[in-house]
Amino acid sequence: MPGVDAQARVRPLDELDIGSIVSIDERITGIYRPDVWEQRIGYYIRRDPEASRVAEVQGRVVGFMLGDLRAGEFGLEEPSGWIERFGIDPDHRGHDLGRQLFEAVLRHFRERGAVTVRTLVDGKDTRIDGFLRALGFTPSPLQALEIRLQPGPQERT
Amino acid sequence: MKVEKITLEKKYHDAVEHWRRHWMPDYELLMTHWDKYFPKDEPFCLCAKLECGTPETIPVGDHAGEKKRAQPDQLNEEEAKHLLAIIRAQASTEFGSIQQHSGTLARAQDDEDRFWVLRVMAEELRHGYQMFHLLLSQDWSRASGGVKGEDMVEEILSMGTGSHVLDAFNLDYDSFVDNVCFAALIDRVGKYQLTMQKACAYKPMADSMPPMLREEAFHLAAGVIPLRRWAQRAAHGNVFITMSAIQKSFNKWYPRALEMFGDERGGDSNIRMGFKDMKNRQAQDLYIEEVTRMVRDINARYLRARFPGYTLERVEQVLDELERDRGRHDGVTFEDLLRLPDRRFFRRKGEPAWTMVGVEGETHTDAEAYLRSLATHLPEPYMASRDMKTYAETLRQVATGELTVADAIKKMPKLKRVGGTCPCSRSVRWVVEESATNGH
Repeated sequence: MPGVDAQARVRPLDELDIGSIVSIDERITGIYRPDVWEQRIGYYIRRDPEASRVAEVQGRVVGFMLGDLRAGEFGLEEPSGWIERFGIDPDHRGHDLGRQLFEAVLRHFRERGAVTVRTLVDGKDTRIDGFLRALGFTPSPLQALEIRLQPGPQERT
Repeated sequence: MKVEKITLEKKYHDAVEHWRRHWMPDYELLMTHWDKYFPKDEPFCLCAKLECGTPETIPVGDHAGEKKRAQPDQLNEEEAKHLLAIIRAQASTEFGSIQQHSGTLARAQDDEDRFWVLRVMAEELRHGYQMFHLLLSQDWSRASGGVKGEDMVEEILSMGTGSHVLDAFNLDYDSFVDNVCFAALIDRVGKYQLTMQKACAYKPMADSMPPMLREEAFHLAAGVIPLRRWAQRAAHGNVFITMSAIQKSFNKWYPRALEMFGDERGGDSNIRMGFKDMKNRQAQDLYIEEVTRMVRDINARYLRARFPGYTLERVEQVLDELERDRGRHDGVTFEDLLRLPDRRFFRRKGEPAWTMVGVEGETHTDAEAYLRSLATHLPEPYMASRDMKTYAETLRQVATGELTVADAIKKMPKLKRVGGTCPCSRSVRWVVEESATNGH
């Protein structure tokens, strides 16, 4: 059972969290990509700032979960909460922060009338898959399908 | 969480639309391109929004624990007058910021930045509309001295840059840098005001706040995200928007932002009457702390762009060193970074009004030297403004003792419309309010 960090504070995402999220992402992936996060965080803030959350420990952001509420996509008329991105600073893993973030996001989705929460996961990523299943996610009848596009003739040259 | 949407009576709705055609000529362009810049977002709605299910009891003040008031008549006369002034000031800021943004909007170098500001303007219009709903949905005549809602709306719609209630909304923008710095600094004060007003003892006001706050979150992002990108470009040698240009704009807006909290020694009435849950200085302190974080974040973005090989930890270390020693690191000086001026800098209202404190907190004793110092820290076009001329004249009078600080605080002139109330009528002139000259 992971230890709960008593000092963790979960609050809605704001525009001053971009730098911290860029840094958490960099610590996880090794890639510094501020442009990507400026775009994504701008997106979530303008849609529903309370749906995305960050976890602070001693005033420092160490985890985040980004999501929003959508309806009418893929023929799903019912409002669904979608969780897109999340990350916990490697130094703060094992303190149940992911669950605290998820519960705060879930509460918000419920208040907004969502009946389902959805996400997509790479089945090969056992760590993320395991985390999501531990939160209660189960396989959905909806299936993600894709086609890999080959480069066109002009692009090949 | 449910939100009730309300449309004003047709004549008022049409009046707002008419005003919008004057001050937001790009509104239709925004609607046409909404899906391009804000794909999948809820379409914009010019309506009042009231959050349902908010707390029913007053959380602070003399009436704490009592049921929130639903009508102005349930407030005593002093409370009703005080709240009416808050609503009127709030409405003025919403329309005022649109007028300011419109002046330099077209100068944005990036279309995305321009459409973000356009969306901000549309949402400010909705916030003004929201305040009109508060003014028009109930009878305020007891608090307004008989002035009807219709007349209050007309008065607010007739205000222009120069005649708004708060000083921050009476300054013209000098360039698109101001559009963005305003969103980052002035809209942030708006966030504090709206957050404090969530507690409001008048329930329609409290219920108005959550939808406005959700929109305000994007307004702050529309300031901070372009600032981060500009800092990166500046670090790469882009000469169009420099850190120095941003700094000068910060110096212009930050003092006005601090004054929007009200006098540092005040705010008791708001708490006593249950309209806000923080005193002025308390809210201002939190604001300064937040803006300090913002500045550090932008500086970190700048340094990381200057030194792409540095880790985040190294950047933080360099930032700490530059802030502490005010020295130089591999070609970057402390002056290349953004910094907040002293909270007493260039103040004309509040506790440090007319004290001639410089950006670093140094005190000047000579008005001319102080003005010369201001000229090196403020945007050049702003130095050439009417506002600065009046400021300089008043400062000289305070310095020679011709004018007391209390009178100087009241003295800043207002632009008054002397013709019709439609913005088509441009017949305005500068006047000093009667009350300012009382006692002389």
